[in-house]
Amino acid sequence: MSALPIDLALAWDSLPAMFRGLTTTLLVTVLVLAFGLVLSIPLTLARISPRRIFAWPALLFIVFFRGAPLLLLLYFVYYGFGQIPALRDGPLWIIFGSSFACAVIGLTLNHMSYMVEVVRGSLEAVPAGLTEASEALGLTPRETFTWIRLPLAMRYGLKAYQNEVVMFTKGTAVVSVITVVDLTAVANEIFELTYDPFTPMLTAAAFYWVLVNLIRVVFRALERYLNRHLTAHEDRSKPANSLPQPTPVPSSIARWKASRSLGVPAKGQAL
Amino acid sequence: MNLFTPQFGGYIYQMAQGALVTLELFVWSFILTLIAGTAIGIITLSRNPVIQLVWRVYSSIIMGVPSLLVIFLLYYGGSAMLTAVFGASRSFDVTPFGAGMAALTIVYAAYVAELVHGAAKNLPRGQFEACSALAVKPTAAWRHVILPQLARLALPGLVNIWIIVLKDTPLVSLAGLNDLVAVSKIAAGATKEPFIFFIAACLFFILFSALTSQLAARLEVRLNRGIAKAKA
Repeated sequence: MSALPIDLALAWDSLPAMFRGLTTTLLVTVLVLAFGLVLSIPLTLARISPRRIFAWPALLFIVFFRGAPLLLLLYFVYYGFGQIPALRDGPLWIIFGSSFACAVIGLTLNHMSYMVEVVRGSLEAVPAGLTEASEALGLTPRETFTWIRLPLAMRYGLKAYQNEVVMFTKGTAVVSVITVVDLTAVANEIFELTYDPFTPMLTAAAFYWVLVNLIRVVFRALERYLNRHLTAHEDRSKPANSLPQPTPVPSSIARWKASRSLGVPAKGQAL
Repeated sequence: MNLFTPQFGGYIYQMAQGALVTLELFVWSFILTLIAGTAIGIITLSRNPVIQLVWRVYSSIIMGVPSLLVIFLLYYGGSAMLTAVFGASRSFDVTPFGAGMAALTIVYAAYVAELVHGAAKNLPRGQFEACSALAVKPTAAWRHVILPQLARLALPGLVNIWIIVLKDTPLVSLAGLNDLVAVSKIAAGATKEPFIFFIAACLFFILFSALTSQLAARLEVRLNRGIAKAKA
């Protein structure tokens, strides 16, 4: 074992296959994100509905698909649905017969159940005074929801949504078990061909790392765009503000953490 | 399939064995994660630039890479790594259990450390100053003053990590560990009854996390005794 456990030539040769795997991973991610976003809103509305006939099935759905590990859900969809004769002989078999579609279905079930908490939390974070005010101004409940609550909730929920997207993107590595050839599956194949334990895994890890950090960068830009009114206001009011400044946070780490947790990008930080 | 055949009973027995393996792996991983994460969290509160650099690189890599890859890396490459560290004179066998435990610990220790940072940041500065003013030794101050409060502040986050680790434990079955998920997959394949076995395995995870959130709620009451609730 040399000092550097990575075989650079092998890593270079595996790049085309890795990029193909990355395409699959990206495709799964984008599809599930789209489905999850669309489906989680009605599910959330059912969950917070005062009518039990909507709320209880939604709750049951969420508890099951949130609590079950992703790996089991994928097995469940991939091996389970093929056992239903009506499904196997029906026209929908084109969907359920493909491992890619099964992966998307399994991940979507899990992702949308998580999304319910995100959507619910951000909808509830909207101050009640705002909805009351729009009611008082004669807006219909539907208008209040689309134009007041939803846009504000999107801003409040962005951080939680980012966490969920990052978690879930890393979770897509599991789809390789149901024969979807994603990034992890490619790394595994190369391992089985070469028995090099480090190079394929570390190359795939680098791909994932870049992907996850790209997601973070995109979210930071989105956050800045959505909250642009706040930054503009802060910049204007700061010099005139005569209120006592908050006591400085003692250590540089704590300050760095504070700026990170508040989502304020540090000055001069390259995006 | 008849549910009351001896064959079915055998699968149930195997599932119970698998559940034990899963639980064992989970409990060990979580204990190690807690210890390592707290230690890392406390060490990296230091302002030493080298420590900061190492911590930032470690946390960035760990938080950007799927845990499944870390499990594979340690399982496939574990014996080579151990040989590199301890010399070629000894050979090492890396079991799926050991590799999974190490991988889960390495991954989730970073998250626990992050949590400890957040909690330590939320402690009033006066706590540390009062300890040094009263000439309480740093070790005693950490043990009797700081850590109990960190536990209270970090508990909600720890419960989250507990549930995430629980749901990541089945991934180790992909490295060949014969845990609940692996057994239920075998049973489902052999009996052609995937729904029974997979739903049973899912229910195990759901019930276990429901049980632990009950316990966590009780623990929270216990740790928060003496703290006045904010009046809503």
